[in-house]
Amino acid sequence: MPIRKVGVIGAGVMGLGLTQVLAEHGIEVILVDKEEAIIERARQHLIHLLDKEIEKWGLTESEKKVILSKIRFTLDKQLLRDADFVFETVDEILEVKKSIFNEIDHICRPNVIFATNTSTLSITEIAAATNRPERFIGLNFTHPVVKRQLVQIIRGLKTSDDTYEIAKHFVVEIGKKGIQVYEAPGYVTVRLMMPLLNEAMNLVVEGVASAEDIDLAMKDGFDFPYGPLEMADRMGLDAVLRVTDGLYREYGDVKYRPALILRKMVRAGHIGEKVGEGFFKYNDAGERIE
Amino acid sequence: MNIFVLNCGSSSLKYQLFNMKDEAVIASGKVERIGMDNAILSHEPTGRDEAKVVTTILDHTTAIEKVFDILVDAKHGVLTNINEIDAVGHRVVHGGEFFADSVLVDKQVKAAIKGVYDLAPLHNPANLVGIEAVEAVLPEVPNIAVFDTAFHQTMPQKAFMYPIPKILYKRHKVRKYGFHGTSHRYVSVKAAQFLNKPIEELKIISCHIGNGASIAAIDKGKSVDTSMGMTPLEGLMMGTRSGDLDPAIIPFVMGKENLTLNEVTSMLNKHSGLFGVSGYSDMRDIEDNMDNDSRAKLAFDMYEYRIRKYIGAFIAVMDGIDAIIFTAGVGENSDTLRKALADHLTYLGIEIDDKVNRTRSKEVRRISTSDSKVEVLIVPTNEELMIARDTLRIVQSNK
Repeated sequence: MPIRKVGVIGAGVMGLGLTQVLAEHGIEVILVDKEEAIIERARQHLIHLLDKEIEKWGLTESEKKVILSKIRFTLDKQLLRDADFVFETVDEILEVKKSIFNEIDHICRPNVIFATNTSTLSITEIAAATNRPERFIGLNFTHPVVKRQLVQIIRGLKTSDDTYEIAKHFVVEIGKKGIQVYEAPGYVTVRLMMPLLNEAMNLVVEGVASAEDIDLAMKDGFDFPYGPLEMADRMGLDAVLRVTDGLYREYGDVKYRPALILRKMVRAGHIGEKVGEGFFKYNDAGERIE
Repeated sequence: MNIFVLNCGSSSLKYQLFNMKDEAVIASGKVERIGMDNAILSHEPTGRDEAKVVTTILDHTTAIEKVFDILVDAKHGVLTNINEIDAVGHRVVHGGEFFADSVLVDKQVKAAIKGVYDLAPLHNPANLVGIEAVEAVLPEVPNIAVFDTAFHQTMPQKAFMYPIPKILYKRHKVRKYGFHGTSHRYVSVKAAQFLNKPIEELKIISCHIGNGASIAAIDKGKSVDTSMGMTPLEGLMMGTRSGDLDPAIIPFVMGKENLTLNEVTSMLNKHSGLFGVSGYSDMRDIEDNMDNDSRAKLAFDMYEYRIRKYIGAFIAVMDGIDAIIFTAGVGENSDTLRKALADHLTYLGIEIDDKVNRTRSKEVRRISTSDSKVEVLIVPTNEELMIARDTLRIVQSNK
C-alpha cells in the first residue's frame, strides 16, 4: 500500500525536520505534540525556515504554500487513525516512548508500521509495548534532517522482513539513504560522534585550545560542516548529555563518561542554539553571532 | 480511427480524443491533483457543456480509468464502448539519443525511456506511468510514444556537442537535446503548406515562445540547431528561467551566497527570467506595466533582445532565412513583442503589417507585408494533433 499520510509524534527539532522533508515530498503529515505552545512554536519555526529558503531562492512562495498545506499541526492523537505510517521523535525516555506507542497502538490501523527515532534505546523493548512488534522498526535520522541524507535503519528482534523492506523503500522515496544497523546502543553515528563531542569539551576544560579553534580544526582539517562544539550546541547540550549518559550506562565504559563541563552547562541552562547560548552564542534565527 | 492523446505530468494529466477521419477533437480534458482525496477531472465533449468531477484519485491508473469511464458515460460520454479507442499517443519529454522519431511502445522502448530518467527527472517517470496505466486498462491497444526531443536528433554533432571534456558526453550523455520538438515540427510543416512551398526548399526559424521558450533553426525541414540544451534551462530568457548565462556565475554565486546545488538550481529555474528581473513572470503583466515600471520595461527589452540574438545566430547557422514563425502563448498573442522584434530586424528587409499583426485569430496567418524579404507567420501550435497524426502513421505502418 502506498504511504500517503504519515503521523509524526513530537514537534521538536527532529520531528519538525522530518515533517518538512515529508511535506516537501508531497506526503501529508499529521504532526502531533502534547502542548499547544510547542506545536505553535513548531509551526512558526517551520514558516521561518521556509521563508529563509525562499530568500535563498531554494523555494517559491507557491511551493511554501503547498508544503504548509500538507501539514496538520495538532494535539489530537486520534487523527493518527488515518495515518499509513507513524514516526515517533519524542525525548529519549523509555517509559515515555512505550506509553505513547501503547496508546497509538489502539488508534492506528493494525497494518500500519511504527518507527521510532531513538538512538540509544532498545527497539525490541519499545516494540514490546505494542501488539505489532513485527511492524515496528527504528529509523534514526541525522540532524539536521533536511540536509543530511543518512538514516540508520534498525531492526528489532521481531521486525519482519516485509516491514524492513517497506521502511527501506520509504526512506529512499523521501530522498534519504538508509544503512542497515543491528540493535546496539548508539548504533554507528551516535556511538562515534558522542565520544568526539565529549572529547572536544574535555579539550576546552584542559585549555588545550579555544572552543573557536577546536571547531576550526575539525572544519578545516576534516571538512566537518560544523565543528564538534557547535554541533553539540545545535543538537542541544541537554540532548547530548542524555544520550552520552545513556551510552555510559549501557556500556559502562569510561570512554562514554560525560565531560563535567557538559553537565555544568546543562545545569546552568546554557544548552545551545535553542536558548541562544552554549559553547557559542546564537540569534533568534539560529545563526551564530560569536 | 479514434486516437486518444495523453500528456501525463507528475500529479496531473491532459488528454484529447481525435477522430482521425477528419482530425476532429471529439473530447478533451484534464485531471488535476492526482494523489489527493479531492482530485478534479474536467471533461469537455466538443460542443457540449464541460463536466467537472471532484473525487479521490490516488494514482495515474485510477485517473485513466476515470477518464475512460467518462468517455463512455451516458450523459457526458462520446463513445459507446471504450474499445472504440484504436490507439493511444503519449507525449514523452525525453527520448535521449535513442529516438529520432515516434515509436510503437514495447519493452525495449520502456527500458529506454527509463534509461534517461536522469535527464528529465520530473517528466519521464510520469510519462512512463501514463503508458503503463493505459496498458493496464486497455491491454490490446497499441501505445505510441512521441518525444519532445526526437525532432532535434537531426542536429549535426558540431551543434549538439558542448566544448567541455568529451568524456562527459561518453559517461553521462552530456550534450544538447533540445525540446518543444513536436511543436517546432508541427508549425514548420504547417508554414510550408501555408506558403505553398516544399519544406525541402525552406530555411525556417521557429520561435516557440510560451512560459518555456525555445527557437529552432529548421533547414529543409530538419532541425539543425535549437536554443534549449541538455535541459530546458538553456537558451532564451523565459518566464522564470534564466536561459543563457556565464557558467562561472554559478560557482561564484554559490560561494558568495552560501547556496546548495538545489538552491542554485531552483534559483535559475524558478526565480530568474522575467520574474527575476521584474517580479512579473507573465508577459501580459509585463506589457501592462512596462510604461510605468522600469523593471518591467527592462525585462521586456532583455527578453526581446535575447530572442533577436538567437534569430541572428540561426540565420548565420543556415546561411539565410525564408520564414520566421511565431507560436505558443506569447508568440501567438503578443503583438508588442513581434512588433519590437520586427522593428529591429530591418536589415533583413523584414516589414510587418501593423494592423494584421494586431489581429487576433486561431488561424495560420502572414503578418509580413508583400514587400517583406522574409515571410513572418503566426502558426498556432497543436502538439496534440501532431501526436495523434504520428500515432496514426506508426499504427498503420506496423499493420
